[in-house]
Amino acid sequence: MSTLSIVVTLATIVLAALLALLMIPVLVWLERRVCGLIQDRLGPNRTNLFGFRLGGVVQSFADVIKLVVKEEYYPSHIGKGRWLFVLAPMITFASALLAFMVIPFADDLVLYGERMKIQALPVEYGILWYLAIGSVGVIGMVFGGWMSHNKYSLLGALRSASQMVSYELALGLGVISMILTYGTIDFNAMVHWQSGTVLGFLPAWGALVQPLAAIVVIVALFVETNRAPFSVAEGESEIVAGFMTEYTAMKFAMYFMGEYVAMNTASAVIVTMFFGGYQLPWLSTETLTAHFSAVAWTIVVALPLFVWFFIRWMKKNNTVRPTVSTDWGRHFETKVLSVVLIAMTVVIDLILIYISTLPEGSAATTVAVTLLQIAVFVMKLMAFNIFFIVVRWTLPRFRYDQVQTLGWRYLLPLSLLNIFVTAIVVVGVLS
Amino acid sequence: MTNRVKTVPRYNKTAKERLYLPAIFEGLKVTAKHLFVNVADINAVETLEYPEEQPTDITERYRGLHRLTHREDGSIRCVACFMCATACPAQCIHIVATERTDGIEEKMPQIFEIDTLECVFCGYCVEACPCDAIRMDTGIFSVTGKRREDFVLTKEQLLAHKSAFGEDTSRA
Repeated sequence: MSTLSIVVTLATIVLAALLALLMIPVLVWLERRVCGLIQDRLGPNRTNLFGFRLGGVVQSFADVIKLVVKEEYYPSHIGKGRWLFVLAPMITFASALLAFMVIPFADDLVLYGERMKIQALPVEYGILWYLAIGSVGVIGMVFGGWMSHNKYSLLGALRSASQMVSYELALGLGVISMILTYGTIDFNAMVHWQSGTVLGFLPAWGALVQPLAAIVVIVALFVETNRAPFSVAEGESEIVAGFMTEYTAMKFAMYFMGEYVAMNTASAVIVTMFFGGYQLPWLSTETLTAHFSAVAWTIVVALPLFVWFFIRWMKKNNTVRPTVSTDWGRHFETKVLSVVLIAMTVVIDLILIYISTLPEGSAATTVAVTLLQIAVFVMKLMAFNIFFIVVRWTLPRFRYDQVQTLGWRYLLPLSLLNIFVTAIVVVGVLS
Repeated sequence: MTNRVKTVPRYNKTAKERLYLPAIFEGLKVTAKHLFVNVADINAVETLEYPEEQPTDITERYRGLHRLTHREDGSIRCVACFMCATACPAQCIHIVATERTDGIEEKMPQIFEIDTLECVFCGYCVEACPCDAIRMDTGIFSVTGKRREDFVLTKEQLLAHKSAFGEDTSRA
């Protein structure tokens, strides 16, 4: 292995860890802010560091400090099983985190004749890894519910386990029809397949080629992540906090964060399998590399426009009403953030202009294409995370029996039907 | 027996309703609309920035913190009849009576304490008072303190509270 590939691999691992871990405070904050705005409230917007509120995202870090210094409590009846009681949330958290590691953030980087995967775990069986590791998380929930030794915890653990069993089938079968379509189990190859067009003009995204499988898999992934409307494993009115009832402080936070990492992972899988992954629609990696100067100039023009609109929005909204006497330094914050944003825009634009003068296919162009694809992936990921959050605050929860009915009586037959149709089309018509 | 069976129409019969997804998108449309409208203009959200903005919709009927009313000459109205303490369901009013020597009345409270941590703000003391000596028209809705004792309002504190709606002396 050359120094270059080691550097790229390390950078990819750091990127994956940051994307998974830094996303947690952002998602927790987004959940509360989006929920508030949907319900015509404001959500957390006060916490600040030296007057910098960043819209309130500092609140999440304050919450983490609170959870770290809270009292650790163990039910007295655990006895010698305390290690398993502590291990359970770690299993849930770690499995969600590991499952994220096979997502490709950009196309293979070809530099000086070396081909490097922009994937924290450079494996070629990504979807199998996700199915295998992603569902280990429920074992942590079952351990936690069983060790807590009370009825609410046990019921919550049972519900999450049975829910997982029911929907794993629909999920697996939905994924099989996608594997049939793409002819591969490698996430990166799946994204490659999606960079073409279908019917001549639509991007060949999985959601457009296989809408039924997309619905089945997205619904199943909502269940896998235990999110509303399928959050039957916990419910204040029925079983307190489900398997988390006896958990306090950081152990509780592990479960809590694991849920958000799982949601992030599920979004990444959905984006990669059904929404073109890191690809811009109609622009495959080859097109991007070949015409990078045109793309660069588009960004050079579009980025300042976008930043201008954002600063205008910030000036209007990072304020308080005239009836409020103090604005807690929001005016100053807006100024500083505007300067930082403008400086960043200028730097990025200068770099892009410099790159666009280089000949096509140079190393700088290749790296720039990779960075662009990472940015596109992160944007799609955020969009899907917000979709998860908006769905949670839109739909009422399903009753437990309705969850099972939907899984066994609707999604399972649908996914089976979809496999038949896909197989007939792929094997009978196309070959 | 007459036929009084009434068939209630069920609403999940059409294919569109049974498919469930169109309804989900209808719901998403509503929530997304709220989200985008509020993101575009966050100060238009109808809410109070509470500690800086105070509520403006407190009416005369609002049961705020208690106060003891005065006579025209500024002395205490209360005659220590214990009606309010008797009526209080939370038993949070503590009165010790003493003799009144200025000839206006025979009795007055020496101690009149209300434990606001016990009080349920039902207003029965105001109803029970035959002299209009206790009222809840101060408009004060938040009591803060660092110790439990801070929440026990003494006679002096109760007398010092002002009505939020003009008229300070009692009508009785």
